Amino acid sequence: MKTILSLMSLPVIAVLVLGAAPLCVVVVWSFWTWDPSTYWIRPELSLAGYAAIGEAGRWTVLLGTLFKAVLAASFCVVLAFPLAYAIRFLAGRRLALVLMALITIPFFTSYLIRAFSWRLVLGRTGPVNEALQSLGLIAEPLDWLLFSDFAIMVGFIASYLPFAAFPLILAMQRVEPSLLKAAQDLGAGFWRIVGSIVIPLTLSGSFAGFLFVFVMVIGSQTEVQMLGGAGAPIVSIMINDVMRVANFPLAFAISSVVLICVFGVLLAGNRIFGLARLFEGMSK
Amino acid sequence: MAIAIGIDGVSKRYGDVQALGQVSLDIRAGEFFTLLGSSGCGKSTLLKLIGGFEAPDTGRLTFDGTDMARVPASRRPVNTVFQDLALFPHMSVGENVGYGLKLRGTAATERRRRVADALELVALGGFEDRDVSLMSGGQRQRVALARALIMEPGILLLDEPLTGLDERLRQQLRDEFGRLHKRTGATFVLVTHNQDEALTLSDRMAIMHQGRIVQTDTAEGFFSAPANGFVAQFLGLEPLLVPERVEDGRAIVAGQPIPVGEARPGAARPVVALRPDRLRLDASGTLELKVETVRFRGLSCDLRLSFSDGQTLTLSAPPEARHDHAVGQIVRIALAPDAALLIPPDDTATAGAQPAP
Repeated sequence: MKTILSLMSLPVIAVLVLGAAPLCVVVVWSFWTWDPSTYWIRPELSLAGYAAIGEAGRWTVLLGTLFKAVLAASFCVVLAFPLAYAIRFLAGRRLALVLMALITIPFFTSYLIRAFSWRLVLGRTGPVNEALQSLGLIAEPLDWLLFSDFAIMVGFIASYLPFAAFPLILAMQRVEPSLLKAAQDLGAGFWRIVGSIVIPLTLSGSFAGFLFVFVMVIGSQTEVQMLGGAGAPIVSIMINDVMRVANFPLAFAISSVVLICVFGVLLAGNRIFGLARLFEGMSK
Repeated sequence: MAIAIGIDGVSKRYGDVQALGQVSLDIRAGEFFTLLGSSGCGKSTLLKLIGGFEAPDTGRLTFDGTDMARVPASRRPVNTVFQDLALFPHMSVGENVGYGLKLRGTAATERRRRVADALELVALGGFEDRDVSLMSGGQRQRVALARALIMEPGILLLDEPLTGLDERLRQQLRDEFGRLHKRTGATFVLVTHNQDEALTLSDRMAIMHQGRIVQTDTAEGFFSAPANGFVAQFLGLEPLLVPERVEDGRAIVAGQPIPVGEARPGAARPVVALRPDRLRLDASGTLELKVETVRFRGLSCDLRLSFSDGQTLTLSAPPEARHDHAVGQIVRIALAPDAALLIPPDDTATAGAQPAP
């Protein structure tokens, strides 16, 4: 028992100090008062930060960010699902390993470089426009390919797909192939098997993947700056701008609202999909 | 309705491994047929071919004469009890059992009634709402059976269904299989490595070895006429003695004659299989052997006895016999009629060349 406690103490302290404590500080400071004489905050209760969220269209940026995050996370899960299915049930051992390695490639380069490379690909003279033109599908280069919400979404999916793929692969590994055979044996075709067996049994993995991408998008900045149009809004950039004018209570208030949204999604999802199930029986 | 299965010249290869080589077999409608063999003999592969989970490389599979090559597993009149049972963990007992009917579009009320009937059939009446992961091994086994039988299949495939259960449960469920076979009238095909299961349940069985069928027969047939030394050894018809010569109905082993009835033609170097149940210690017996070891077995004791040329046989005697027989002692044993069979040797390389009856 003593050994367990001493072994546990380090990770627990790390999680508390590195993870929870800064978040608590942010939330507490968001209720403090801005002091223009010192350019800092002083410990007096104030809701000015929260009130300021309602100004200058900040609400729309918040909602827009949440919407983009939901959209990107959904796309990633939808793409990751067949990938995880193929790795588990279709590919041989070697091909499965190759596919898993390929998924990790986005981690090899910085987000900045990757976003920049998409800028070249999607540009007016990029390969996508060139190909579409040479195929005769379009006469003029498509302008909305780059510096648009479309480009931002492409950047998000390219960057964050692995975050959706790995929890799904993990969940898929725990579905015994014999279950698919049993369903087939009882008369189920492919889509019925996927719908009635595979999806229900991997829901926790899908949700974990969704959540990871959701969180990453809310915290993202690079993709939006590189691929979005001039002044394309997202929460991180907005917080950055607010910090630049040293309006700390507002920055902390926005962060707190984002934090509450993320925790809300986490708790609701856990209630519905049972996130904890993903890690059940791992020690077997 | 029970369905007859025709397997004609079927082969299956996985990479370098020949899982099945030119297997031909006819399983009659409504019979309880067992594929018996040790692991890797091809019995499970054959079951997968019947179930539609694998396609043969060559040969034909027919149900009541209809070719099944283009019929996928989901549309075959076959249901399977899988080795690991493959119960759906996210469904209750009732949902598991009713899954197939739901796919068929059976109305909910009708489905409920039939699920209840199927559970009743396997002695799990009223278990509809239970969680399958909280059931015992035997109960899970019954759920898997009910899930297959509710489909009223023409053929029920049982893939090593009793593996991993304790002995008492095995016996209980084994009896259940027999009862359900009579009750449903379907063709049952059982795959097992356990000869007790095979012998008690089957109308007929096939012994497989290295991807081929060595012999197909009734249970009695195997014991009265094992095809070769491999079959004899597999069924415990041991020892296999190599005779010096065979002359008019007798095999001479280490100078002592053993009556073997008529020799079957075609075997180049036949061996003598002795049925252990037809040997007994008898002072006026015809065979003279030396005691090598005596081993106490609880309800019996095993005497290992040797011929003068070093070949041995093991005889089961009453437990008291261990006090009367010392190592090195010469004993006499008597052979009941038909105790010895003259059969072809265990020539594994040519085992497949034995014509399947």
